[in-house]
Amino acid sequence: MDFTEPANWSRIRNDAEAFIAEHVTREVIENERRTGDGVDRTLTRKLGARGWVAPTWPVEEGGAGLDHFEASVLLDTLRKGGVPTIGPGTTMLPANAIKATGSEELKARILPGVAAGSTLICLGYTEPAGGSDVFACATRAERDGDEWIVNGQKIFTTFAHVADYCFLLTRSQVGSAGTRGLTMLLVPLDSPGIEIRAVHTMGYERTNVVFYNDVRVADTNRIGEAHQGFSVMRAALEAEQNIAPSARTRSIAADALEFARTQPRSDGDPLINDDIVRERLARMAMEAEVADLLGLRVAFLDADGEKPGPVSALFGPESYVRASAAAIDIAGMSGLLDWTDPEAPVDGSMDAHYRSAVATTIYGGSSEVLRSLIVENRLGLPRSRPRR
Amino acid sequence: MDLRLTDEQRAVRETFAALFRKESTPQRVRIAESTGMDRALWQSYAQVEALGIGIPSDRGGADGGLLELALIAQEAGRRLAPIPIAETAAAARLLGRLGEKELLAPVLTGSNIVSLATGSRPVGDQLLVDGAIADAVLAFDGESVRYVTRPDGQPTIPRRNLGGLPLARWDVATGRSLAEGEPARGEFARALDEVRVLRAAALIGLAEEAVQIGSEYAKVRMAFGQPIGMYQAVAHPFADILGALDGAQLLVQKACWALDSEQDDGPALATMAFVFAAETAYQASQHSLHVHGGYGFTEEYDIQLYYRRAKAWTVAFADPRRELLVLADRRFGPALPGGR
Repeated sequence: MDFTEPANWSRIRNDAEAFIAEHVTREVIENERRTGDGVDRTLTRKLGARGWVAPTWPVEEGGAGLDHFEASVLLDTLRKGGVPTIGPGTTMLPANAIKATGSEELKARILPGVAAGSTLICLGYTEPAGGSDVFACATRAERDGDEWIVNGQKIFTTFAHVADYCFLLTRSQVGSAGTRGLTMLLVPLDSPGIEIRAVHTMGYERTNVVFYNDVRVADTNRIGEAHQGFSVMRAALEAEQNIAPSARTRSIAADALEFARTQPRSDGDPLINDDIVRERLARMAMEAEVADLLGLRVAFLDADGEKPGPVSALFGPESYVRASAAAIDIAGMSGLLDWTDPEAPVDGSMDAHYRSAVATTIYGGSSEVLRSLIVENRLGLPRSRPRR
Repeated sequence: MDLRLTDEQRAVRETFAALFRKESTPQRVRIAESTGMDRALWQSYAQVEALGIGIPSDRGGADGGLLELALIAQEAGRRLAPIPIAETAAAARLLGRLGEKELLAPVLTGSNIVSLATGSRPVGDQLLVDGAIADAVLAFDGESVRYVTRPDGQPTIPRRNLGGLPLARWDVATGRSLAEGEPARGEFARALDEVRVLRAAALIGLAEEAVQIGSEYAKVRMAFGQPIGMYQAVAHPFADILGALDGAQLLVQKACWALDSEQDDGPALATMAFVFAAETAYQASQHSLHVHGGYGFTEEYDIQLYYRRAKAWTVAFADPRRELLVLADRRFGPALPGGR
């Protein structure tokens, strides 16, 4: 075995850091914190110009021809540097589904814009009554000639208010339930009948409720076969679980260490000299190493076609939540100050991580759903969720 | 970068998996609890030339690395093999690095068991992890690495203990010096890091089998009309444990690579591997025992053998939380004077 980092990773990291130094101003960072949009359209086009929105796609398709590892090095560096990556990162899930199962016409119409960073696609899976049970979908799509008429409501449609399309899960067969009778549609968000309402979160992220009232969608915007949306969704969901963005445990561990090195305890001695602090920082470092290794293995196994189950998608967020809570405990009162306070140590990072970590154990598959999948697939334990 | 085992490494793993499956049955593990060791298994282990695997060929070994030893330790752990593996392998490699070919020769045949005194107190004040079965131990007294031979008349029956370990004290003051000063300190520290990694590997094997035992039981044991494995309170902890075990295995593998290729982060990774494997092995064996209900508490069921060793194999080296402070020193540098 060889854990030596390939030489081109540091080149990719340097390229990304140069991009950040040139384009990611303090204003870009603060604007994202204030709006929670999850995307900066101007910046996303600049990423697209470098092939960095779809980094694993071939250069001739607008990508950068990177492998999974290189792409994750790139995206981690960009995210760490303050590039809002939720929008472009999320766009790639439906984009890859379109690439795999869309019609030639749809691919030609949509994918070049995605790669260029000019087309953004949000995810329309979750409904108010559904949550983790995505296949409880009740949003209706009714065929009418060359069109579908969509009625329903979706929630947690993050960055819908700035996106061009929604990758929408609909129930297309009356009376169907569960995974049957579903159709995936790519809905232009400027269509008449769509209403988008903001939902603000405690994590400096904005998300949305989207209402669909008699929205007409051309059948040419269907992805995969009609009523067979489950197979399209399953591929996209597995991609989300298996290519989860690398864990932010490393990030909070580094920030907490910086906090402890620079901030005094109440008796004036630096926190880093306190064994009670050191033990927790060491645990964070250990769990960050594990989260990174599990993520690395996902990329590695993915290249080999193996699937270890979503253990990385479970451990990464769970360890991030633990670390963000421990970091606040260590930091004490000055760790509570948010980024708008000029005296907030480490740019208010303790507050920000604590606010956002908890959501990572929910989106992309709640920890409970992932645990069920893991024990069913790897241990053959009986399924606990009722079958429909 | 390559996260795959080579074909040779897979073959090593298969060979030892088969050996321990056949010769380290739960019955033999139980019998060895009072003696601290299964001599017949030790002979089989020596016969397949396991003792030379991590030793360079110019010292009479097979040129394998720490990773090969970790694969063996993991398979041994899976079957709770009652033979000394971690400290003896690290001691043999230490003898090799110190150029002690004569001392090494009988170690490689299995006729002489040389272990490590891993504690920090003088060797005569330590409860030695292989004390009841070792012929000699290597100890570090702050200045020298010393070869301490078992004095005549010392106990060969282990002190009765939680993990069936061959624990014993030796009434001995010191032994002859093999190395002095900084080289001695560095090489002994390296040996302790190898113990961390090999103990971690053994604990992973133990935990993997504990999960197998516990989850198989959860599939067949019925309660309230359905298999208990269908209840999420029973099933879900296994998912976290599987993820942690995958992580622990990656830590062990990375630590092996880092130590063998002299990366700066090798010692920190070895510490992480030990702590993470130890904590996960406890969780795995605790949960697997718990899902057995009252039966898990009885001697008849094998899971109690795993539960007891999950802790015994850990604290035979160190308290995991104290090891986190070692990790802090290694990653962040020592705390400044006056800080604690």
